Amino acid sequence: MTPPLLSLLVFLPLAGAALLWLLPARAARFVTAGAMLVTLAAASAVMVAFDPDGPRFQLIERVLWVASLNVHYQLGIDGLSVLFPPATALLFLGALVASWNLVHDAPRFYYSLLLLLQCATLGIFCALDTVLFFVFWELTLVPLYFLLGRWGAVAGSARVAAHYFLIMLAGGVPLLLAFVLLAASQSVPTFDLLALLAVPLPHATQYAFLLLCLIGFGVKVPLVPLHTWLPQFALAAPGSLTALLVGLKLGAYGLVRFAIPLAPDAAQDLHWLLAGLGTVTLIYGAVGILAQSNLRVALAYASICHVGLAVLGLAAFTAQGVQGAVSLLLSFSVATGGAFLLLEFLRQRTGSTDIHSLGGAAKTMPLLASGFLICGLAGVGMPGTSSFPGEFMLILAALQSHTGAGMAALFGLAIAAAGFLALYRKAFFGPVTRREVAEAEDLRPREWAVLIVLIFLVGAIGLYPSPWLEIVRPAAEAWAAGLAR
Amino acid sequence: MSGGFSEILWPVQSGLPLLLVLQLLPLVGAAVVFAFNERSTAVVAGKVFALAELLLCIVVASRIKPELATLQLAERFAPLGYHVAVDGISLVFLLVAALLTFLMTLYGMSRGMISPGRLFAVLLVAEAGLVGMLVTLNIAWFAAFSALELWAVTYLLRRWASSRAETQALARFVQYQAFGWALFVGGCLVLGWSHADATGGRWSFDLFDLAGTVPAGKFQTAAFYLLFYGLAVRTPLFPLHGWLPNMAQHGLIAVGPALMVGVKVGIYGMLRFVLPLTPVAVEYWQPYVVGFAMAGVFFTAALAFQQTNLRRLLAFAVVSHTSLLVIGVFSLHEAGIQGTVLLAANFGLAVTGMWFIVGFVFRRTGTTELGELSGLFERIPFLAIAFLIFGLAIVGMPGTPGFDAAHLILEASIDSFGALPTVAAALGNVAAAGFLLWAFQRAFLSQGKQGGHDVDRTMPMEYLVCGIALVAMLAIGFFTEPWLHLTETASQAVAERFAR
Repeated sequence: MTPPLLSLLVFLPLAGAALLWLLPARAARFVTAGAMLVTLAAASAVMVAFDPDGPRFQLIERVLWVASLNVHYQLGIDGLSVLFPPATALLFLGALVASWNLVHDAPRFYYSLLLLLQCATLGIFCALDTVLFFVFWELTLVPLYFLLGRWGAVAGSARVAAHYFLIMLAGGVPLLLAFVLLAASQSVPTFDLLALLAVPLPHATQYAFLLLCLIGFGVKVPLVPLHTWLPQFALAAPGSLTALLVGLKLGAYGLVRFAIPLAPDAAQDLHWLLAGLGTVTLIYGAVGILAQSNLRVALAYASICHVGLAVLGLAAFTAQGVQGAVSLLLSFSVATGGAFLLLEFLRQRTGSTDIHSLGGAAKTMPLLASGFLICGLAGVGMPGTSSFPGEFMLILAALQSHTGAGMAALFGLAIAAAGFLALYRKAFFGPVTRREVAEAEDLRPREWAVLIVLIFLVGAIGLYPSPWLEIVRPAAEAWAAGLAR
Repeated sequence: MSGGFSEILWPVQSGLPLLLVLQLLPLVGAAVVFAFNERSTAVVAGKVFALAELLLCIVVASRIKPELATLQLAERFAPLGYHVAVDGISLVFLLVAALLTFLMTLYGMSRGMISPGRLFAVLLVAEAGLVGMLVTLNIAWFAAFSALELWAVTYLLRRWASSRAETQALARFVQYQAFGWALFVGGCLVLGWSHADATGGRWSFDLFDLAGTVPAGKFQTAAFYLLFYGLAVRTPLFPLHGWLPNMAQHGLIAVGPALMVGVKVGIYGMLRFVLPLTPVAVEYWQPYVVGFAMAGVFFTAALAFQQTNLRRLLAFAVVSHTSLLVIGVFSLHEAGIQGTVLLAANFGLAVTGMWFIVGFVFRRTGTTELGELSGLFERIPFLAIAFLIFGLAIVGMPGTPGFDAAHLILEASIDSFGALPTVAAALGNVAAAGFLLWAFQRAFLSQGKQGGHDVDRTMPMEYLVCGIALVAMLAIGFFTEPWLHLTETASQAVAERFAR
């Protein structure tokens, strides 16, 4: 009897949250840090226990949950999802460090919400039952609502929180409908992903399912034109929260895990729709960067741009495409997440992330500036950084399947890189004009630690990507083979 | 002759006529509490009787076999037309009624209302009315118990209303309810008459008899409309909801509305009596009813957005989600009906919990105007979070009973009406999430002028009341299986009458 590793992983943060309330409030952040470290260890253990060349889904746990609806509590991972839990655990740890001295107001509540969010996120990556997945999916909304509504960075953040909550809830409607439709189309209604993957859906149902999923996941991804919530969220949320939300590509994961494999024929018939949405999103994101003066919003647009690339690569329906998409998403958790954390350090010092109130920041904060440059370059797919292998595979896949769109994507990425560098120059170089910038101190040791881990990961994965890619490859091939009917 | 119904008599399943005890216990309780008058023992006795009734309901639930498609624990006394029995559906409603009454006794104490002894006596009378409605299989007895409960609520409104405009609320309440009740009784008479017609002059109001001799043609349509609109006033269904906002704003804060809409007897009445007794008319008018209900979901949601008073806002929330329940009933689909029963229990618990919290807030601030409330989160975080969780339950968040129930209704709705109306109905939920969140933000999160420093912290009794409701809710939400099991066969039995 093997221990239920995945359940342990998912519910460790929750146990930490419970522990918070038993200990005094001033111990809260230490308890949280401990819980997150243990979670990181558990996530690493899962990664070690996973055998890339073994069966596709591993560490499966299955318990009947609601018998009359045939809903199971079923967890499991495959090569596509196994790297997400460690990335999630790292990112949460980073977010905790970034807000280390900021939470004075009801700290236990704040940290319990953060841990609850981590539990739900890990659950999303491990769930292999559509209802269980949906439960975790919706469960992320409550902590996000509170974290943003109560600890938001600007005055109107409660309104933004409600806006986000409602948009996501509205996105949940088509998603739930898609899952119900999926279950109802089987001879015995089931929500078990493995069983659903084994039996192809009727053709007409596939179309309905795919379109509903595209709306439901598209809101979260976000695909243009469903992206409107992200820029205002990036402005209103505290930096650590934005890092979590933008760093974790839940929507794209949903497309890889559910939407495309469950509706393979429809997805391949509608390849132009996927590729088109991807390209439009990519170009839109890239052009959006040019128009920004706030680094945080610019980063949000950069993330829109890259998710567009991932969707475009997915539309090739090859192992290379999905492998590239997964590694880009993972690299994004680290690189963009890290960039947002550094911006949060910057905001804590200067009170702003707008280029008009920065200028010359590299003079007083060289470490922060160089760290941000590295993360930012990884964000635009510079060779040698962690994003490059994934981006390269995606571009190749896109050029082979949709040549025109692939060319457009290359062009869009160039615009994105130019836009980022222009912003970077205005924010970090030039004369120092404001007192806040002149008096700012550089990174403190705690922040240093975050930066070193980040840069190490960005560099290590970028220069020596093959071990990571090898974990993803067998599952990616199985994924692509499942589409060929 | 029994119109497709069957029953198991009580001696087979239990040594006692449990349902008789269930009906008499609150009445005895009311008499005892009344006799104690305003002594402190009256308050204790009230709580004890409410708790005993809740326990007895649990005993009844453990005695029946929900997998049998038959009414159980039946008792008959022919000379009075007394005929009671329960199945899975009525048990869910009974449990909610008993739990809510018990919570109301706790709540009544913590709010420190005047003459609690009398209040508890009337409360137990109202509970007796509710329980009677939920166990009887005689439509005339149903009407009689309904009158008893309405009397009790009217009395509560007269005596314990918390606002000077109570007379207006009271008048509106009595007008609407008397009218609805008269319609319902009219429907009963049409059914009884047609039974007398078919059997040569033998009048009966028993469900088993009536289901065997459903009236034909126009008479059935007439009976359907009389019964349906009679119950629609009570439920309340848009556009017959006019009494509720006034009552909610000017009447008692929690107890009155909870008694009227916490237990959805209107929905229960439709499932138990309207669907089996007028099946042809139900199928014929189904699209119109569903259309009206859809309009109701959105119209009342829009009205809810306009409100400046938290109590009125909640009233419109009730009307909005009740429309959703009616859509579930009229899907005439077993999953839809099962979902409706669970959702009705969920809404009842959730909205009553919210009303309790509004009551607690009112005790602190003396107002429920959203413009005057602010920043309560800092002082009473537990109540604030409880309020939000109740709100999320109404929206059908996973982890609350609303989730599985909404899931079932969606499934039924796809089957019965297709995808578009289903999406529309589901979006109604998002609208509800909108106004509930908005209310939450304004009352609990917004930074106000006076800051709310004088607001008392949460008291133990308040923890208890909201805690029980929350635990019940989350327990049902995460362990839905027993509840699905309880209602499954009974829902199939209702839906079976409609050929698909």
